Amino acid sequence: MTIGGRTLALARLRGRRPAGRLHPAALAVVGLAALAAAVVLGVGAGSVALAPGDTLGILLRAAGLPLEQTWSAAAETIVLELRLPRVLTAVVVGGGLAVAGATFQGLLRNPLADPYVLGTASGAALGAAIAVLIPVRVALLDLGLLNALAFAGGLAAVAVVYRLGRGGPLAPLTGLLLTGYAVGSLLAAGLAMTMYLSGANLRQIFAFLLGGLEGSSWLRLAMTLPLVVGGSLAILARARALNGLLLGEEAAAHLGVDVRRERGILLGLATLVTAAAVAISGLIGFVGLVAPHLVRLAVGPNARHVLPLAAILGAVLLVCADLVARLLGEIPVGVVTAVIGAPFFLALLRTARGGYEL
Amino acid sequence: MTAARPALPDRHPSEAPPPAVMTAAATAAGPRAVAALDGVVVAYRDRVVLRGVDLAIAAGERVALVGPNGAGKSTLLRVLAGLVTPSSGTVTLGGDPVATLDRPAIARRLAAVPGQVTFPFSARVEEIVALGRLPHEDPFRGPRAADRAAVDAAIARVGIERLRGRDARELSLGERQLVLVALAVAQAAPLLVLDEPTVHLDLRHQVAVMELLADLNEQGGTTVLAVLHDLALARHFFPRLAVLDGGRIVADGPPDRVLSRERVRAVFGVDVALTGGPPGR
Amino acid sequence: MHLPPPWRARALPLTLVTIAALALAACSAGAAPPSSPGAVPTTSIAPAATDTPAPETTASPSPAPAFPLTLTDDEGAVVVLPARPERIVSLTPATTEILFAVGAGPRVIATTDFDDYPPEAVPLPDVASFQGVDVEKIVGLEADLVVAGGNSFNSPDAIARLRSLGIPVLVVYAPDVATVLEDIELVAAAAGEGAAGAALASAMRAEIEAIAAAVAAGGGDRPRVFYELDATKEIYGPADGSFIVEMIRLAGGTAITTGSPTVFSIPLETLLTADPEVIVLGDAAYGVTAEQVAARPGWGGMTAVRDGAIRPVDDVVVTRPGPRLVEGLRALALAIDPTAQLPPAPAPSVAP
Repeated sequence: MTIGGRTLALARLRGRRPAGRLHPAALAVVGLAALAAAVVLGVGAGSVALAPGDTLGILLRAAGLPLEQTWSAAAETIVLELRLPRVLTAVVVGGGLAVAGATFQGLLRNPLADPYVLGTASGAALGAAIAVLIPVRVALLDLGLLNALAFAGGLAAVAVVYRLGRGGPLAPLTGLLLTGYAVGSLLAAGLAMTMYLSGANLRQIFAFLLGGLEGSSWLRLAMTLPLVVGGSLAILARARALNGLLLGEEAAAHLGVDVRRERGILLGLATLVTAAAVAISGLIGFVGLVAPHLVRLAVGPNARHVLPLAAILGAVLLVCADLVARLLGEIPVGVVTAVIGAPFFLALLRTARGGYEL
Repeated sequence: MTAARPALPDRHPSEAPPPAVMTAAATAAGPRAVAALDGVVVAYRDRVVLRGVDLAIAAGERVALVGPNGAGKSTLLRVLAGLVTPSSGTVTLGGDPVATLDRPAIARRLAAVPGQVTFPFSARVEEIVALGRLPHEDPFRGPRAADRAAVDAAIARVGIERLRGRDARELSLGERQLVLVALAVAQAAPLLVLDEPTVHLDLRHQVAVMELLADLNEQGGTTVLAVLHDLALARHFFPRLAVLDGGRIVADGPPDRVLSRERVRAVFGVDVALTGGPPGR
Repeated sequence: MHLPPPWRARALPLTLVTIAALALAACSAGAAPPSSPGAVPTTSIAPAATDTPAPETTASPSPAPAFPLTLTDDEGAVVVLPARPERIVSLTPATTEILFAVGAGPRVIATTDFDDYPPEAVPLPDVASFQGVDVEKIVGLEADLVVAGGNSFNSPDAIARLRSLGIPVLVVYAPDVATVLEDIELVAAAAGEGAAGAALASAMRAEIEAIAAAVAAGGGDRPRVFYELDATKEIYGPADGSFIVEMIRLAGGTAITTGSPTVFSIPLETLLTADPEVIVLGDAAYGVTAEQVAARPGWGGMTAVRDGAIRPVDDVVVTRPGPRLVEGLRALALAIDPTAQLPPAPAPSVAP
């Protein structure tokens, strides 16, 4: 269903006229339905075959319906302890990455921006790699040193980029982008060195870099959910400022936006959401880039519509990608999103009108 | 609705050669001038851009700011909008110092039409114009019926109904400029400020923009301040010209008086005689 | 969105009830496996949760029942086994071999996809590959004991996941020969074959000591041995303090190492300077032959190459921390010195 939906979007894209804008509310309803379907599909499929009736029964009984237990305890554990938290984590991470991506695209006025553009990826990866090297095994509430340092690394990287990128002779946006690139490269070098020294733990670092939802659990979800959802809602509340930035920072100022303040707040919130997502699921690419892009093509650049719809689409994309990753033998989900996302993105670039003005 | 336009006083400071600090300007226009700069100095580490600018604009005026490149015209506009803080001097909008106003308050008093704008994302014309309502929108619920009505009115006022539904990125430069003016009109601020709105436009669109400004000013009562590089346009469409040279206002008044041949030679370094009808066609 | 109640809070009382019920069933059935007291040094036997049975009248001397059992694995984790595991999953080839060698083979229900010994283990379903551990499958198979490899051989995340779902996971990691023997006893005890494990371990210990004594007594000095792991691009050999270094020492040689415990590559100049007297081809399984080695540019200067002392071994038995380690030691000793007089191999041990 979702694959069909994406094909439909592509078809609309090719024959697109600006007049063919979709109604945001209608799109939201369709998106939520697709999301529900994807979640059920995701919970019903996996390496152990379960009867669909059993899966549905387990879910309904967990939701409170008084049903007879006609399935094994193992099946219930698989659905409720393994698959359901994993699928819901995909929903949260996919939605969060999409919202963060939409925010960065609006902030930096760059349709090619993704949540990692200012060094979050490199910072988180370096944090994770250092955690793997440290021979200490700590786990607090299902979150290990790896998650904590990945989170901290992502935040720290952007903080550094923000401090260094401001001031200076360049326009603020350009400065941020270029500093992000430079700091990201430096961190990547640090990461390479750490990987070189990691020896037997290289696989763990690699697994983080490629992104994966294998470690999902209810506890982890409970830790990440408030950060991602709270951050996303806070960004949505500032949609007005994001809209103002559409024509540039100076135009936004003329429209009454306190540009410096909003830029800092939006940057901070988007980075928080990204870092929280990356901390539990590694570096999953393309979701944060493609989802807001597609939504913008369908409903226009109004952030009040783009943010929630992108979240829904991002969630659907990641749930489906994770399902594919699981069925293909637990390949890293970042590989799936890249394999699907890259050609899709190329198609997008070819059919886009008028190129991109930056 | 035509706002009463105060007659320009005879003792309007003009031809005195620089430097002449003129505080009379503010007094002449009245204490609640729509916009006023008083002794504004803008200095950076290595250079001084504005060296004591006095300029007062009363409600309902239509003023063109001209001068050679590098004179500081754009900086003057940015000071007025509170984007640049002067090293000394005061800037007021609607009688209140800009330094005491927050950005939304400034946005309700001054609407600026940017000269060059790029669109990173495709957006429809009406979506661009709707941005002008940002200062009035509810931050959470977004635009309301009144805002939508204002957008429709602005589009009609500027005369770009035929552009509805078009992707802004596909418009010609002239059409884009009109859209941006509509955005500023939708903002419904008493003062409209434009920075070189006719750059890159063909003659037809140049005239269209100028006539639109005149219309907004005379029929709608909007105060207009426009930076122009084209002296002929300025002279023809604006009843008052302020000449900025070397960071100072060296002349301020009706075009005939301000753009005499000697003045043009002194300020612009070229010996031409400007002809054309009096302002206000 | 309504989140379901925390499952661990609900599962805990359930698990306790299950443990109590199983313990009751186990004790009343009186089916405690025979285990000689004190034969399992690394374990402590927890007292039974219910009445202790008194099976003195049965033919075999049955002491206190071995289950429920509390063990400490090689990473220090405490593993509680409420009853004798009937559905064992092995996540490393070595532990698979151990389980089969001590007689728990029939109870092993799944292994990895790179298990190759014994032949009975190969057709078993795979729940782990180089990409990771399939937690879902293990849960689906209702495993009651998982034996995994430490030092990140199996993903620590997967191990934690399994434990959080209530499945006991015993993690073993043997950086030296002594720990291999301890692990054999540990795994056997966990599988309820403590006696067989102890017997196997002591037999192996005796044989290893005999071989080491024989090669030491054989006279002559210990040759310098380079154990080649791979030489397709860089030369890879044993790192300082690694398992192979000890094996070579026991087999009568002195290992040439890379000079660092974390580096596995050795530059050709360093190797030439070290001048091995014997080159043991650990990569023989990949088609590397003595002739190839002798033909490598620059290698001709080594004593081993001049003397033709380049010999292949089966890398698996030499390095796998399992029951066949003694075979590996033999093979290694003979590769180092084909004329070594080794004590004869005892008759194949039969699992009780």
